[in-house]
Amino acid sequence: MKQKIREFIFNELIFVAEPEKFSDDDDLLDAGLDSMGIMRLIMHIEEQFSVTLPDSEIDPDNVNSFNALEQWILQHKA
Amino acid sequence: MKTTGASEDIIQILNPADCFTLAMDEEIRKEQMPGSLCGFALELAHTPDIKALEQRIDEFGDRFPLAFASLQQRGKRFFWCTREQRHPLFYQHTDVNHADEDAFHKDTVVKLLNHKQQRETLPPLEFHLICSASKNTFLMRWIHPFCDARGADLILKYLCTESLEARNGFDLPKLEPLVSIQLAKYKWWQKIGFFLKAKRYIAKLDSLQSIIHADTSLAPRQLNFNTYTLSLEQTRTINTLARQQVGLTGTSLYYAGCFMRALHKMNPEQPGEAYCTPYAFNLRKNKALSPLLSNHVAPLFAQAPKALLQDKAALFEHLKQQNSQAMREKLDYAFLPVMWAASWLSLEQHGEKLRKSVYTGAERNSFWFSDIGHVDLSNSAFFGSEISKIYHLCQISSPPALAFLSCQFNKQLTFSYNFIEPLFTQEWIEHLHKNMLEELLSL
Repeated sequence: MKQKIREFIFNELIFVAEPEKFSDDDDLLDAGLDSMGIMRLIMHIEEQFSVTLPDSEIDPDNVNSFNALEQWILQHKA
Repeated sequence: MKTTGASEDIIQILNPADCFTLAMDEEIRKEQMPGSLCGFALELAHTPDIKALEQRIDEFGDRFPLAFASLQQRGKRFFWCTREQRHPLFYQHTDVNHADEDAFHKDTVVKLLNHKQQRETLPPLEFHLICSASKNTFLMRWIHPFCDARGADLILKYLCTESLEARNGFDLPKLEPLVSIQLAKYKWWQKIGFFLKAKRYIAKLDSLQSIIHADTSLAPRQLNFNTYTLSLEQTRTINTLARQQVGLTGTSLYYAGCFMRALHKMNPEQPGEAYCTPYAFNLRKNKALSPLLSNHVAPLFAQAPKALLQDKAALFEHLKQQNSQAMREKLDYAFLPVMWAASWLSLEQHGEKLRKSVYTGAERNSFWFSDIGHVDLSNSAFFGSEISKIYHLCQISSPPALAFLSCQFNKQLTFSYNFIEPLFTQEWIEHLHKNMLEELLSL
């Protein structure tokens, strides 16, 4: 799951010179993930992993790293 | 990239997003105004190192010779073509004895943004340093088909980057126009599907007549602007309120919604059924240094019916839903085939499609809107001088004759209200900003 999210973010949303050095705990918001990017990411995740992520939970704590994103998705995965 | 064509002087064809901005250039020129000139201004605390700045600009011109190109029509299409002679890229405007320094700086910027010149001879890009006894403004002025706002931001970043090695990384890897790359991902039937989807979306928007505040009985004379930099405290409060009201994904919608309400307060009886504003969705990856030039955007719209404006919570819920629906339905990408198809139209037909309601022929846009978010220039310094303020400027078609542009720099928001005189007046804009502040800072 994390790998697929990594690919989407680095291919479509933000540029990181050496993605392989970007750890699962590194801050995606600092790396350039902005409000429009978060929106696109959520749409992608919902479509890709058949999960609904509530708007009320779109919070920096849930989207600021790959680990945080994975935790958030797993909470809502049936 | 050398394109084979009828003429040897062709450097590059305009991509569909460039054509979209060129159509707006034509619309503005039809109103006897200068075309789609844009500006990015830095107010500097001190005089920068002019020699170093000039050298860096020369280097930029050598690396990106498109800065010296001329826009030419060949047959139905438009191209960037070489010129016989290079024009200067850098100009200085100095008056150390001016009694009113602020007025000198503003008047010079206004003059530069209102400079009328034929499209074919107009330099696509110029840099101006305006100096008085204690104030310095660096203005980058460009014509919109040359680059979009994100590209302009990258050009400034290039100029500010000290390391030659880092500067050499700009515009690498070389990319085709992102509009074309994205379009190539779709099969022809998907493109047709998107095209029809975008048409339905526009038809739905046009079912409500847009509210226009400009006094359209008057002929456009010149672009003017007012800028306001908010305090750290005000910016913090607005960021918090935006998060509370529209969440992490809708900061720009917070400004757009507040601006609609501020306009509504100016005259609740203004004819029309809804506020409608276009905004650009940039196809570049954030933090990427390529592509540097050309336009890589697709349009989206925010629209709110008048009935919703009274209820702030309902308005933001509506704007958020609309934005999220647009993304769910991939409407952002749906406009790419439309832009491609429109690039084959005459500029006049293209402009009409961009501006006019399919039902009534009235103007679709209540105002233009752009929020470029955080401006990230290395060290907040510009050739040895601290940057005290950054703002944007753009020429606008009339109507709507009004644009709201925002950015955040050094944790402070700056709003730039661009308006066409006499369709709007300075006093009206000042009043509008008071309303805007009230809206932004209240629950």
